[in-house]
Amino acid sequence: MAETMVKLQGICKRFGSLEVLKGVDLEVGRGEVVCILGPSGSGKSTFLRCINLLEPPEDGEIFIEGNDICKGPGSGTGEQSWELNYVRQRVGIVFQQFNLFPHKTALENVTLAQERVLGRSKQEARAKATELLERVGLGDKLDQYPERLSGGQQQRVAIARALAMDPHVMLFDEVTSALDPELVKEVLDTMRELAEEGMTMIVVTHEIGFAREVADRVVFMDAGVIVEEGPPSQVLENPQQERTKQFLGLVLDR
Amino acid sequence: MSEFFNQYFDFHVMGEHFWEVLEAFLQNLVIFAVAAALALIWGLALALLRQLPGKKLLPIRFITVAYIDLFRAIPILIIILLISGGVPFLSFIPQSIRIPHWFGKPDPFWYGVAALVIVYGAFTAEVYRAGIEAVPGGQMEAARSLGMNHWQAMRHVIVPQALTLIPAPMLNEMISLLKDTTLISVIAFSEAVLVSREVLSERLNSSAMILTAFFFVIIILPLARVVDRLIARNQGKIARGSHIEVA
Repeated sequence: MAETMVKLQGICKRFGSLEVLKGVDLEVGRGEVVCILGPSGSGKSTFLRCINLLEPPEDGEIFIEGNDICKGPGSGTGEQSWELNYVRQRVGIVFQQFNLFPHKTALENVTLAQERVLGRSKQEARAKATELLERVGLGDKLDQYPERLSGGQQQRVAIARALAMDPHVMLFDEVTSALDPELVKEVLDTMRELAEEGMTMIVVTHEIGFAREVADRVVFMDAGVIVEEGPPSQVLENPQQERTKQFLGLVLDR
Repeated sequence: MSEFFNQYFDFHVMGEHFWEVLEAFLQNLVIFAVAAALALIWGLALALLRQLPGKKLLPIRFITVAYIDLFRAIPILIIILLISGGVPFLSFIPQSIRIPHWFGKPDPFWYGVAALVIVYGAFTAEVYRAGIEAVPGGQMEAARSLGMNHWQAMRHVIVPQALTLIPAPMLNEMISLLKDTTLISVIAFSEAVLVSREVLSERLNSSAMILTAFFFVIIILPLARVVDRLIARNQGKIARGSHIEVA
């Protein structure tokens, strides 16, 4: 495997008495595309959100580009720890519900954090945003507010917004689940291009077709643990575990 | 019936005291303008303090909540009397502050403004809070994921959206504030109610007070219609699932 970008060890997370993650390990190499599949409530979204500390894990270790972000100096997962900035400068995330800033235009959505966090000038940020929005096929929507954009367009703006921060890793949290079926393709195409350009991607998805075609590796999660993982040809076509077979049977037989 | 009419609607009395009452009413408007501006700022500060994240800042949140609860519970009249009847005697405070005559206004004016800001800061803080909490949680997550810190996220993402949600309830608070400026009459500041009472005791006639009431109605009725319109607009916005930009 290529150089390790993200390494997670023994990630545990609970919400009250509910144990959502029961010690999950995952290693992702540079440029690798990993798709995480699993039924609702399997903990796959929570796991993804642990990686950029939106849901700080209770136990376990997270290494991003070799740096331990949970146990370093100023450790802990509190607001004040340095890991938060380190992580969020390197890890981008795209959400199921887009979460675009509704009071800002598409362009402003993409420039805001560039200017405020990275300290780029207005012109720099604008140039970068324009380039990215053109790349996701929205060069003609720069000055539109999110409410005027379709779900697919909004999600592509959200991808551009995350890419504008020059992330080394991109997380995708069921980014097509809130979309009308005919809008799913445009978002998946954008992600496919990103994968082809060598972006390291961790993708929580229900799109088996996308996983089969784009993923280097598929991870199947259930009940807070990884049940099975491997290349898509193996996990999707010839699953070994009963639970995986059952899930894929239900999904593919639709 | 004509006795009733003469007691309350003696146009002769109204005419004679019209300018005097109007001038005093303008003082109510000045108190309102100063107190409203300060209360809107103070309330936002309180609301932001209340939203501070993390365990370390719990004491600040606690104090803020205690302040808001306390000053929403105590009648403003008591606050006015506590300030005007106490602050002037606190000799550790410099005289220019404990007996203020800033901008040519007498000390009761400033005691009144202080009381209104203290109390309405608490009320407006709750309105801001409602707005802030109505912004979907995903907005803060998105902002923080892009590397913004809590304050940047509040300033650029959360508060601008919150402000578009609250004009109607905020205007209601402002209407109350305008009416409560009359409470300053109890500490001998010459605003409309005090002047009307003087007329009342001098002429044993209530028409000047009715005139004062009329002035308030003239100002507030249109505001009430604005509130209605804002609520209707907001419901439209919610139905469309979107927000209107704030400048």
